[in-house]
Amino acid sequence: MAPQTEVKPMDKLAKRLHEDAERIEVSVSDELDRRIEASLLAVTPETTRQRPVASARPPLFWWASTITGIAAAVAVIAIVNWQAPDQPVADVPLNIVAAVPAIDLKTEAAVLTSPLHEELDNLQSDLKKAEEKVRRDIGL
Amino acid sequence: MTDELQLIAAAKAGSAEAFCDLAKLYRERLLRFLLTRCASFADAEDVLQDTLIAAFRYIHSYDARWRFSTWLYRIAIRNAAKLRGPDLVEVGDLRDEENDPLLQCIAASETENLWVNARQLLNDEVFTAMWLRYAEDMSVNDISKTLDRSASWTKVNLMRGRRTLESKMSGATDRSEAYG
Repeated sequence: MAPQTEVKPMDKLAKRLHEDAERIEVSVSDELDRRIEASLLAVTPETTRQRPVASARPPLFWWASTITGIAAAVAVIAIVNWQAPDQPVADVPLNIVAAVPAIDLKTEAAVLTSPLHEELDNLQSDLKKAEEKVRRDIGL
Repeated sequence: MTDELQLIAAAKAGSAEAFCDLAKLYRERLLRFLLTRCASFADAEDVLQDTLIAAFRYIHSYDARWRFSTWLYRIAIRNAAKLRGPDLVEVGDLRDEENDPLLQCIAASETENLWVNARQLLNDEVFTAMWLRYAEDMSVNDISKTLDRSASWTKVNLMRGRRTLESKMSGATDRSEAYG
């Protein structure tokens, strides 16, 4: 006697689904077949990805920017050298010292303190007059 | 399979004839699948045509590590969704019972087709996962790749779909026994 094999519900469902899918009767019509074939013959497949095309551009830009940068640097260096003075750089501080007018600090100090000196002289003369007056009063 | 690989290689080299031969291997299967996702037979045919054109145009991007059918179905699902538009969430929303292409193709069948019930009971993604598993015999990994989902998502939703359909089947059996 053959052993009884229990059919799992899952297998039954899978079988049923597979069979039901097969029962959906469908066929591609000749017209659709021709349409698809004509469309495919008119299509040109992209044989290369976009990425290589995009990556081909940066080296070009890199070289262009490098050359432009070098040219600009050379131009700046040339202009700076043409406009530079003939005198050596060491003379520049001397010229600056000569160009700046010397300030007479003593004169200015005298001007600033002259009122005080005049006041001091006045006070001293007042003091002498006061001493002389006192001596006359006491009879010296 | 060797023939298929040779045809793919020739198509990658630019041979439209090779791709036409390749398309003949899949067009009925794809059209049958698209009938479950499109509102009319004409729409399904248009999506099939667009799918094959896109596949040939971008054949260079096909990764041979995956089955060719996986790649084709992925394009077909996208094209069908594009045709339906972003606002229509479920296929059932735009289905006309009289002009339903799936019902037209199984009208001659005497018994109830479970895929019609599946389409009513399951959402689009679960239905597609079930179709790819049981109508196309795809592996879980291939289904995940096609739907752009994780393998665990695919397993869980396949199980949910199976439970839903099993309960439907058992209910139908109970009724037939009760009335029989």
